[in-house]
Amino acid sequence: MKHIGSVAGRELRSLFVSPIAYGVLSLFSVLAGVFFILDVAWFQEMLMRMQQYQAFDELAKWNLNDRLIGEFYGSMSVVLMFLIPGITMGLYASEKSNGTEELLLTSPLTIWDIVFGKFVAGAAFVLLLTVLVGMFPGLLFHYGDPEVGKTLSGLLGILLIGWTYVAIGGFASSITRNQIIAFLVSFVVLLTLLLLPAVADFGVAGTAPAVADVLRYLSAAAHFDQLLTGLVDTADLAYFAMMIGIFLLLTKASVESVRWR
Amino acid sequence: MIDARGLSKRYGDLAAVDDVSFSIEKGEIVGFLGPNGAGKTTTMRMITGFLPPTDGTAIVAGHDIFEDPIAARTAIGYLPETPPLYPEMTVKSYLDFVARIKGVARKQRREAVDRAMERTDLTHVSRQVIGTLSKGFRQRVGLAQAIVHDPPVLILDEPTAGLDPLQIREIRALIAELTEPGRGVAQHTVILSTHIMAEVDAICRRVILIHQGRKVVDAPLEELTADGTTLEEIFARHTSRDVAELEPDEAAAEPAGPAEEAAP
Repeated sequence: MKHIGSVAGRELRSLFVSPIAYGVLSLFSVLAGVFFILDVAWFQEMLMRMQQYQAFDELAKWNLNDRLIGEFYGSMSVVLMFLIPGITMGLYASEKSNGTEELLLTSPLTIWDIVFGKFVAGAAFVLLLTVLVGMFPGLLFHYGDPEVGKTLSGLLGILLIGWTYVAIGGFASSITRNQIIAFLVSFVVLLTLLLLPAVADFGVAGTAPAVADVLRYLSAAAHFDQLLTGLVDTADLAYFAMMIGIFLLLTKASVESVRWR
Repeated sequence: MIDARGLSKRYGDLAAVDDVSFSIEKGEIVGFLGPNGAGKTTTMRMITGFLPPTDGTAIVAGHDIFEDPIAARTAIGYLPETPPLYPEMTVKSYLDFVARIKGVARKQRREAVDRAMERTDLTHVSRQVIGTLSKGFRQRVGLAQAIVHDPPVLILDEPTAGLDPLQIREIRALIAELTEPGRGVAQHTVILSTHIMAEVDAICRRVILIHQGRKVVDAPLEELTADGTTLEEIFARHTSRDVAELEPDEAAAEPAGPAEEAAP
């Protein structure tokens, strides 16, 4: 385990000398800005209309956290689904195509050194993205008074969902030597994860409610939404830990599998 | 230093490597010969622990590659067929990374990297990005990577493939130098694979020839060429036929008496 830092450090350095990291960061910042402006504009528009129609009951329910920050976080979690596979696609696939897999596996490293090292690198990058996301609601504190707790718990949701995506993307990268395939596989898995609640609601809820519950539990969305409401529940944290754990285990098995054949 | 014991690698019915055993003493430079596809790379990958053998094992520097893999791998410097390089890194940061994962202590790392670059004549390109280097330089970075932690055992898979004659000469000189005692660094034990006979002539003292996954010759170079036969002739004689057609004493090369099958 003592080489996690070496592996993570090299991975991050390579990420930041390649255009991918900068491309993802710029695209992410632009998208975050656009979504934020749209969310603010919409929020203002709605407030004005409700005042116009004197819908004070409705107006009372509108607050920055639920109707602006929450919306914004929701959009960003979807943006992450597109961008994180771009970051993780090279984690293992590039080692195979460079031939550096042979260097890592013949060095005195354990498989966990490699798998954790790469995960830590991806997780650090997601932390950076989360800080970028956090800057926008941060602005609102200057003009209004959002709840600190809710704002932060939502941000924790972004971080955890991002880390889960890194674990999934890393696994997708470990099963192929082609980065495009790695990207597509992780994207499809993430999309499936996103669509699970819809499948649960419209597909199986009537016929097999138990299956629907399982599908809802497996989807990241339900747990993310809980965090958006400001509820930091151990059950939801356990979900993210479980998903990350499962995919890291699968990745470990996949990296190790060269030694099985 | 290197003890291969009955190494076999089978893919279904196909035996890529079939019961190969040999023992290499400290300071030896052994040429590992064979036609393309004979199983050289597979054998080397098994000794380095990259590929698991179907049967048999290897002991490197006293450590079994499966029972005690971390210690065994620490003792090995390995240059695979394709140098394992990260094209986006600079030579220096790449070698620093390799030194780290090979377990070179922080205090010695800088010195180890500088020494490896000096020995492979890379100091003047240390800040260059690997992807921009020529093939010859990349091969040298690959070699630097193999020696950066000063391992007792070096396993080099076709170290001169794709180089021009001048570069080949430099790499050979370097390999020869690595096995010389003294100079304050450990004396290395080297296995290098090649299908260039002149290379073996130039630097190796012992030859192991494998053909269709079987070891067919294992003898000191001097003995093999004592009666005036050239290495090319020996190579041709042992690899022109299928292993199954060889005489039993020819095919079954005993590690104990490797010299016999050299006699015509």
